[in-house]
Amino acid sequence: MIKFVLRRIILLVPILLGVVTVTFILMYVIPGDPVLALVGERYDEETLEAKRRELGLDQPLFKQYLGYLGRVSRMDLGRSFITGRPVTESIAERFPRTLTLALSAMLLAVSGGILAGALAAWGRFPWLGRSMMTLSLVGVSIPVFWLGLLLIFLFSIKLSLLPPSGYGGGSWRYLILPAITLSFASLATIARVTRSGFLDTGGEDFVRTARAKGLGESKVLGKHILRNALIPVVTIVGTDFGSYLSGSVLTESIFGWPGLGRFIVQAILKRDFPVIQGSILFMAVLFVIVNLLVDLSYGIIDPRVRRMGGAS
Amino acid sequence: MGGESLAPPPGRRSGVGGAVIDFWRSFFLLTGCLLPACTGSGDPPLLRLALQTEPATLDPVAAVDFSSGTLSSLIHSNLVRFDAAGRIVPDLAREWSISEDGRRYRFSLFPARFANGRRVTARDVVFSFRRLLDPATVSPRWWVLEPVKSAASFHAGSPFSDDSMLALDDSTLVITLEGPTAHFLSLLSMPAAGVVCAEEVRERGADYGRRPCGSGPWKLSFWHAGEEIRLEKNSHCREINASVEGISFRILPESMTRIAEFEVGNLDILEVPGAEINHWRTAAPGLLQAEELRVVYIGLNNRKPPLDDPRVRRALNLAVDVETIIARILFGAGRRSRGPVPPALLPWPTGTDLYPYDPEEARRLLSEAGFPHGFSMEIWQRENPEAGRILESVQGYLARVGIEVKIVTREWGAFKQAVDRGTPDAFYLDWFADYPDAENFLQPLFHSSNRGGGGNRSGYANSRVDSLLEEAAAQVNAGTRTRLYQRAEELIYRDAPWIFLWFPIRYEVVSERITGYRIPLIFNGRRFLEVSFSGRSDH
Repeated sequence: MIKFVLRRIILLVPILLGVVTVTFILMYVIPGDPVLALVGERYDEETLEAKRRELGLDQPLFKQYLGYLGRVSRMDLGRSFITGRPVTESIAERFPRTLTLALSAMLLAVSGGILAGALAAWGRFPWLGRSMMTLSLVGVSIPVFWLGLLLIFLFSIKLSLLPPSGYGGGSWRYLILPAITLSFASLATIARVTRSGFLDTGGEDFVRTARAKGLGESKVLGKHILRNALIPVVTIVGTDFGSYLSGSVLTESIFGWPGLGRFIVQAILKRDFPVIQGSILFMAVLFVIVNLLVDLSYGIIDPRVRRMGGAS
Repeated sequence: MGGESLAPPPGRRSGVGGAVIDFWRSFFLLTGCLLPACTGSGDPPLLRLALQTEPATLDPVAAVDFSSGTLSSLIHSNLVRFDAAGRIVPDLAREWSISEDGRRYRFSLFPARFANGRRVTARDVVFSFRRLLDPATVSPRWWVLEPVKSAASFHAGSPFSDDSMLALDDSTLVITLEGPTAHFLSLLSMPAAGVVCAEEVRERGADYGRRPCGSGPWKLSFWHAGEEIRLEKNSHCREINASVEGISFRILPESMTRIAEFEVGNLDILEVPGAEINHWRTAAPGLLQAEELRVVYIGLNNRKPPLDDPRVRRALNLAVDVETIIARILFGAGRRSRGPVPPALLPWPTGTDLYPYDPEEARRLLSEAGFPHGFSMEIWQRENPEAGRILESVQGYLARVGIEVKIVTREWGAFKQAVDRGTPDAFYLDWFADYPDAENFLQPLFHSSNRGGGGNRSGYANSRVDSLLEEAAAQVNAGTRTRLYQRAEELIYRDAPWIFLWFPIRYEVVSERITGYRIPLIFNGRRFLEVSFSGRSDH
């Protein structure tokens, strides 16, 4: 296990180097000049050149690249071209908010999705199963933007129960609507996957054996069926959670949530190179860590994976 | 947040929908989920506003975007400023006199104080202006002080000429210009000419943009990135608002979210988005409206065939039914433009509607120019749903006269770069006034020296227009100046470097909580000094 983790951590180095290089090249390949965002609508060429010199953009590309690599190796992601703030400071400020939203959404998606999937698979009330699956189909199909506005209209404007937008200094009241909005698609997918997992596993020989030897239904469900049905759910959680952590642009924009997503999109629109590069690098590290945790959790949930991992 | 409310908006609907809503409301009440209706009732009264984009900085020398300029103007004082009607009024300068040759400006200052309590002196003004011009500052707005004597050479690296800006004592300042500049006071009212506290700038360095210290009526209380900027009353300022303790600017990029916040009573002023105007015309009887100092146009690349032929450009103007687009797509929120300068700044000479909707005449002009079967061209736009609808309509009109239009959409950075380089055949763009003066529309947008990033993005050049604009800028007599600008505008209108579209009308709705607010003519003309609370509450 330790060897496995170490190997993955060492693998981070070439992955991050690749990410830095590709991002760096992309920044210069795509059209758009970062200096144009700094000079407004009325400028002269001399100011443009002076700004380029000030930001080091007049240097040869390779020199800029090496300089950036050097700074990154010292954990310095540079300063935003637009605001002049250190990128690490901005990420440190916004990431906890994104993390709060991502964790809440994931919690809702996992608990709601597994419950809905299990209920749908439970054959006692067929109408319930059908309703759950119809709802989950709606959940997968519904656009986030529309759902967000619908929730604001219902819970804020009509029912006056929750604030329409904002962060509210971290108050949970402000978290509910964005978390529901963000979780909806994952919840629906998890419900569908859980249902099919329950149905597939329910027909396996070992479940029949467990029942035949007189094991209680709750133990059969919890210990044998649920554990096996969870493997694909963990995969979905890993993928979705990774993307939630990099910020959810639409949800954050609708609810005025000051997270990473809006921050990165603004930086892309204004060609704020240090912010784009720093944020992407940070997201890459997060993705790798989340995927590592997902891989490790496979082994915890299913001992067969652990044995196979050990053998390889 | 003070005065924040979760109470229902007025005018709730009844019927089946109402019953369902009441059921859910009761459900949440019974299950204990209903949230407190109002928080922060004991907080000082705040004016609650929304910003579509977050300011990049609050440092006057670096502020180039709308949000930065607006907030920086609330925090910093200038020598003079604009009032809501766009008139020049005293700010730090109690009075001023201009020499007969129009080159020397003598300002007497009020005994004002910065937010840190220190007296503002004429030396602070010199420091601020010198900082703006200093090449080391690399301010994109240095041109605001370009008319000052030796300013351009100082900006280019020569030593500073002390006699160009002279602090005679703590409260007297003399500024000498290279030549008479009629709009110099307007330039001094721009955010870039805001006066900063010298020692705070030195102490805070690059961080000044996030921790400014000015002598304006408001000072920064806190700035929560991506969320809210709070200003509080600057008690040291000469002009303060007696009833409003602070202003909360929430950063809400989505228009529907801003509407929702206004509906639940969390915002005091809402700029009504285009698609919502009809609804608010009936829903809000007190809807405010004002013609903006902004012109919307389709710039034609005057250096690229076939658009380098004025006959073709005139034909394009004749082929588009602008009035119908205003009525159908903008819901009437615009006034058709006959020339680039808003009539509030420069009265239109009578009888100059050269481009009524006339596709027949357009076809004739195209034939005369050698394009009887039309041609194809691209019109570029930045990502914007409203612009998309407008351009599709323009595309339809131009197709009727044989011109095939391809609409090319780019995000802002790529769009701006291409337009400034003169790549597209045509582009959909607008121009906001920096200050309420015809010069601000004519000089940057049409003088040949400003082609490209200087503002003249259509690449228009007419030596007669150039000399008229130069003559007008140096003309101190207001009547003569107006006539010169009118002649220049008429020539530009005839040359049709753009497809002239409209001057937008801005709509704002104000909560019942506040009184005394009016839409200012220019963005930095509002300081929220006249706004007060009516005593009535939305909640």
